[in-house]
Amino acid sequence: MELPVLNEQPAKTGGCSASSCGSTDDQLGHLSDEIRAKVQNHPCYSEDAHHYFARMHVAVAPACNIQCHYCNRKYDCANESRPGVVSELLTPDQAVKKTKAVAANIPQMTVLGIAGPGDPLANPERTFETFRRLSAEAPDIKLCVSTNGLSLPESVEELAKHNIDHVTITINCVDPEIGAKIYPWIFWENRRIKGKKAAKILIEQQQKGLEMLVAKGILVKVNSVMIPGVNDKHLAEVSRIVKAKGAFLHNVMPLIAEAEHGTFYGVMGQRGPNALELQALQDECAGDMNMMRHCRQCRADAVGMLGEDRGDEFTLDKIETMEIDYQAAMEKRKLIHQAIEAEMNSKRAEKTETSSKSSPLEALQARPVLMAVATTGQGVINQHFGHAKEFLVYEASPSGVRFIGHRKTDLYCGGDSTCGDGESVLQQTIRALEGCEAVLCSKVGYEPWEMLEAAGIQPNGEHAMEPIEAAVMAVYLEMHQAGKLAAVEIEQRASA
Amino acid sequence: MALKIIESCVNCFACEPLCPSKAIYEAKPHFLIDAKKCTECEGDFAEPQCASICPIEGAILDALNVPLNPPGSLTGIPPEKMAEVMAEWQTH
Repeated sequence: MELPVLNEQPAKTGGCSASSCGSTDDQLGHLSDEIRAKVQNHPCYSEDAHHYFARMHVAVAPACNIQCHYCNRKYDCANESRPGVVSELLTPDQAVKKTKAVAANIPQMTVLGIAGPGDPLANPERTFETFRRLSAEAPDIKLCVSTNGLSLPESVEELAKHNIDHVTITINCVDPEIGAKIYPWIFWENRRIKGKKAAKILIEQQQKGLEMLVAKGILVKVNSVMIPGVNDKHLAEVSRIVKAKGAFLHNVMPLIAEAEHGTFYGVMGQRGPNALELQALQDECAGDMNMMRHCRQCRADAVGMLGEDRGDEFTLDKIETMEIDYQAAMEKRKLIHQAIEAEMNSKRAEKTETSSKSSPLEALQARPVLMAVATTGQGVINQHFGHAKEFLVYEASPSGVRFIGHRKTDLYCGGDSTCGDGESVLQQTIRALEGCEAVLCSKVGYEPWEMLEAAGIQPNGEHAMEPIEAAVMAVYLEMHQAGKLAAVEIEQRASA
Repeated sequence: MALKIIESCVNCFACEPLCPSKAIYEAKPHFLIDAKKCTECEGDFAEPQCASICPIEGAILDALNVPLNPPGSLTGIPPEKMAEVMAEWQTH
């Protein structure tokens, strides 16, 4: 097996160039300074930023103009965390109030997105009213929007007018044959259209919208849902095409399909990919494209850091009782954002310096290892194993440490054990960590310690409060010294 | 001749701006159609607009109480399959 070379330019490398590696600057390293400046404090676009900055979605857009087989428009569960789900629909006025209240209380907030629960551009009046008011009343907050693309071409002018410099388009295919298996219908020119004809129109609109946005200088991220047996073999081609047209980031997400969600895929038994299949496809696409791996597939009304949802603290009745000095809040935000950016820049400089020194393992033949990390942010190991609702997964190899993705422990549902199938939370967590050989956290209890060890995952609480990538490398070195990374296994893996 | 919206409506607003007769209005617990205004889009469109965008099977009925989008017609899920899976889920 040929190991990826971390310090090469993205176009030449396999997986790593596209993600955040210990030894490269970060996943956005190849971007122009102008684009980088736009995204470096955006938690959804910069892996680095998502350790520090918060975002929120306001659910002002209930209508949709297409149906996707992974969506059920009837769903509303407070315990669910996935796109399309919300608890409280907002009017534009309520959304503006909520945004300003959250930004005053969570000063790390940099981004406001509209992502549903339907399609933002199928609700142009509500969406643009929200954007228009926020760009006037909270000018420091970046605005972004996520769309299926059907109404995108007709909305590009309006998006540019509201100073929206980030748009996400969900593009699952460029082939109508495949599209017909994902989208049962679209609403187009006053008619409901089904099958391949519908998919063809949707694909054309998405591609046209992508080109128009790029021509306007608006940054475009492309989201794709990986659906095994439907579009998994096709997404590398999608990646190539959207990159050629100027999308700056591709985010391949796993299908979420459970029978109880009542979606077509859930009910019909279509499975989602496992973590290793997802990683393999992300690596395959990375040869052509800057990949995003830290997406949390959040709700259309999520609030807070990626991976957390503080929506409960900001319900409409709670916001009504808050007394907020918006001007003071904006000034405070500015200071906090500056401090965070300074910290990020110094960490970035440190990483660059470390990477210029040769890795102690560089000359060695040692196999790569996946490790899980429990963190609440700031780029350090600072969470108790039992408190982690998700783990970040890093790959350590002789050439460095790279971020691979995250694993959720509660598998999309924060409900009680009656939601599950009798498996304990601990068993579920251990299953979620499949493929990882170590888990780094601030502390871990006796019972999970034993169960983790039995499952072949080494618990490690010795690197509490240390920077993630340095700690992962330290553990990797220890494993090497203990003779656990024998080169012979590389050959086995390569021939497997 | 008028259509109606029933309780399975999820209040997604999609139909309201499309109605050429302005017959659809927001109400609690769900959107309603003013029967005096509804023309079933005759003379304006080939198909009733509300029923052409509504994502919920069975939420819009015609004058004879027949759903314009019967079970399975929008999601592609065979109704018996849906019933089977939901029954199984509820016994958990």
